[in-house]
Amino acid sequence: MTPNPPNSAETVLRAENLTKRYGDLLAVDRLSLEARGGEILGFLGPNGAGKTTAIGMMCGLLRPDAGETFVRGRPVRGGDPEALARVGLAPQSVILWPKLTCLEQLEFVGEMYGMPRPDARRRGRELLETVGLAEKANKLARTLSGGMQRRLNLVLALIHDPEIVILDEPEAGLDPQGRVLVRDYIRSLARERGKTVILTTHNMDEADRLADRVAIIDRGRLLTLDTPEELKHRVGEGDVLEIEVSDAPGGAPGPGGGAGHPVLRTLEELARARSGVGAAGATGAARAAAVSRVGHVITLRARDAVNLVAAALDALRSAGFRPGAVHLRETTLEDVFIAFTGRSLRE
Amino acid sequence: MRRPVRLLSIFRKTLREQSRDLWLLALSLVAAPFFVVLYWLLFVGGSTAYGVLVLNADRSAALADGTVFSAGAELVAGLEKVTYASGSPLLRVRRTSDLESAKATLANRDAALLLVLPEDFSRGILAFREATSRGDGAPVGGSAGPSGPLSAPTVTFIGDLTSAAYAVSSVLTLATLDEYLQAATGQTRPVELAEEPLGASGVRTEFETYVPGLLILSVTLLIFLAAMTVAREVETGAVRRLRVTPMTSFDLLAGISLNQVLVGVTAVLLTFGTAYLFGFRSQGPLWVAILVGAVTTLSVVGLGLVVAAFSRGVTDAFVIGNFPLIFLMFFSGAIYPLPRTALFTLGGHAVAIYDFIPATHAVVALNKVLTLGAGLGQVAYELIALVVLSAVYFAAGVWLFQRRHLRRS
Repeated sequence: MTPNPPNSAETVLRAENLTKRYGDLLAVDRLSLEARGGEILGFLGPNGAGKTTAIGMMCGLLRPDAGETFVRGRPVRGGDPEALARVGLAPQSVILWPKLTCLEQLEFVGEMYGMPRPDARRRGRELLETVGLAEKANKLARTLSGGMQRRLNLVLALIHDPEIVILDEPEAGLDPQGRVLVRDYIRSLARERGKTVILTTHNMDEADRLADRVAIIDRGRLLTLDTPEELKHRVGEGDVLEIEVSDAPGGAPGPGGGAGHPVLRTLEELARARSGVGAAGATGAARAAAVSRVGHVITLRARDAVNLVAAALDALRSAGFRPGAVHLRETTLEDVFIAFTGRSLRE
Repeated sequence: MRRPVRLLSIFRKTLREQSRDLWLLALSLVAAPFFVVLYWLLFVGGSTAYGVLVLNADRSAALADGTVFSAGAELVAGLEKVTYASGSPLLRVRRTSDLESAKATLANRDAALLLVLPEDFSRGILAFREATSRGDGAPVGGSAGPSGPLSAPTVTFIGDLTSAAYAVSSVLTLATLDEYLQAATGQTRPVELAEEPLGASGVRTEFETYVPGLLILSVTLLIFLAAMTVAREVETGAVRRLRVTPMTSFDLLAGISLNQVLVGVTAVLLTFGTAYLFGFRSQGPLWVAILVGAVTTLSVVGLGLVVAAFSRGVTDAFVIGNFPLIFLMFFSGAIYPLPRTALFTLGGHAVAIYDFIPATHAVVALNKVLTLGAGLGQVAYELIALVVLSAVYFAAGVWLFQRRHLRRS
């Protein structure tokens, strides 16, 4: 419920030093962040990074071992009804009551938040309309397709008109049409209705398109929090050039071992000479090499990289490689994510 | 892949899955041994001792040599010596002096039989013994005797004729009586026997005697429905969704329980209705029996919540639910009697360990109303006990569920 429209400059949710441990595993380690009114905050991290645990503590589902989450200054820890009523959570897994109709589910959850039934019913109809389920209002949830169930799962978090909406992987399992619809809806929640949306996702494109700011978390710790543009700028301005290679002389170097291959140093010098990328902009974990190689793909980051293609191919051929496909693209949030979290699998 | 290989592969896969669900496997494996141990403890390694109340109104008779002959006391002593081959007592004999309170004890199923020995028990036996020794033995029913026609004393058996415990204890008591009389008088049975049914138990058909038990069964089975309904909310994750709302565990469980109680009361009404169609008639007010059924439902649902608290899903609830079900069915006296050892006395009622099982009180109350014609006042104790147990189990269910499934851990 939104008694006061949020102001975009105002902090509506503040997490302070949230810490959660499961046995020997430190799932979340002194995580602090603030979410502002009307913003979409992307919450990114590899599997097992602690995202779900962190949002569980933010919405009152989990009790932190240390730290606290405040919603409009009210602590969430004790299950404060007013704090809970200001937050809506759409969990990653679809949680519905299969033998209730779409509208009945919304009415029921609305009543759990203390809404009078007529209000919950009216708002339920509005929400079903917005996610394209108006015609299914009186259908049992179990008869809906997977995508429809996901959309219903999403609007169940909104029935009580919360000020803060936490969406755990909202686009997972949706077809392209469903993704567009949900994405537009999430955007409208923040832009038109002033909601604060905290969004966890593995879809970097989704985060890039939607999020005003992005937080990257790994091994329970917050690595960075900034706008997508600033993060991309930090990792490397300009373009990304990817060249597939094969048949390195003396056999292909082992994974990652190519970092020290002479040709990579040559390419890096080319890239630096072109734009200085990777030297001036990047800091900390994001100070990624301007040139890297994974498997049979060599990646160069450089401003105006299109003019590097010929020189790079020549250098590779001179070193005995056989260049294959060449791809040129802009730096993406995925590059940022990989730069911060690395390439190794977590789970 | 050939069939035997596939079969073995499926066997191995199932074995692996089962071994990784140790909680359910352990419950399935230990259930029967657990109840074997429990039964042994209840019977202290022996068998049931049937409760026999004796109202001994016998006035002893003076013999010619000046000694006193107390046939009643001798018979009671004989009853106390009736044992199993192991030496464990077969009859639990208690003396009483008040007929009405003794009947109330029978109605409460704290005893199975009330044996009433008349004032002239000793004199009557003595007269027959003397007549026998003179050779002018008189037949039972009274005829010639030393001082005129002999009138045979009347020994009365009182009990709930629909009760299996009464049947067993009356046969054992009668056999002891016959044996004693044969030894004392040489007569086969020089006494009159009278049987006084408790309430309307003497006119109940066999069908009617089964109805209270079936009623208990219909309510008892609700434990599965109650536990599985709550466990489904856990299994589907719905509880997780609700945990972020201001809803409390009391809201959730009371709401579900209310629904289950409604189902239970409907089941009670349907059972009564069906039985009525086929000739069953209650001796007491039917609404009291329905009230007992409704309150029993409440307590069974409370137990269901306790089961749900230990369940992670519907399958768990089903397996775990069998434990309280066995208690409700076999440790309540609904199926057959169990030895009663009083732990303490409360308001004049001996409280045994089975009294913590709601069905125990339901069986007694329903029997009182349906068979013995009791009214609300006579089942007040059982109703209060059921209400208290319902509250205790419900509170325990809410507390456990809160701790195990709703606490923000």
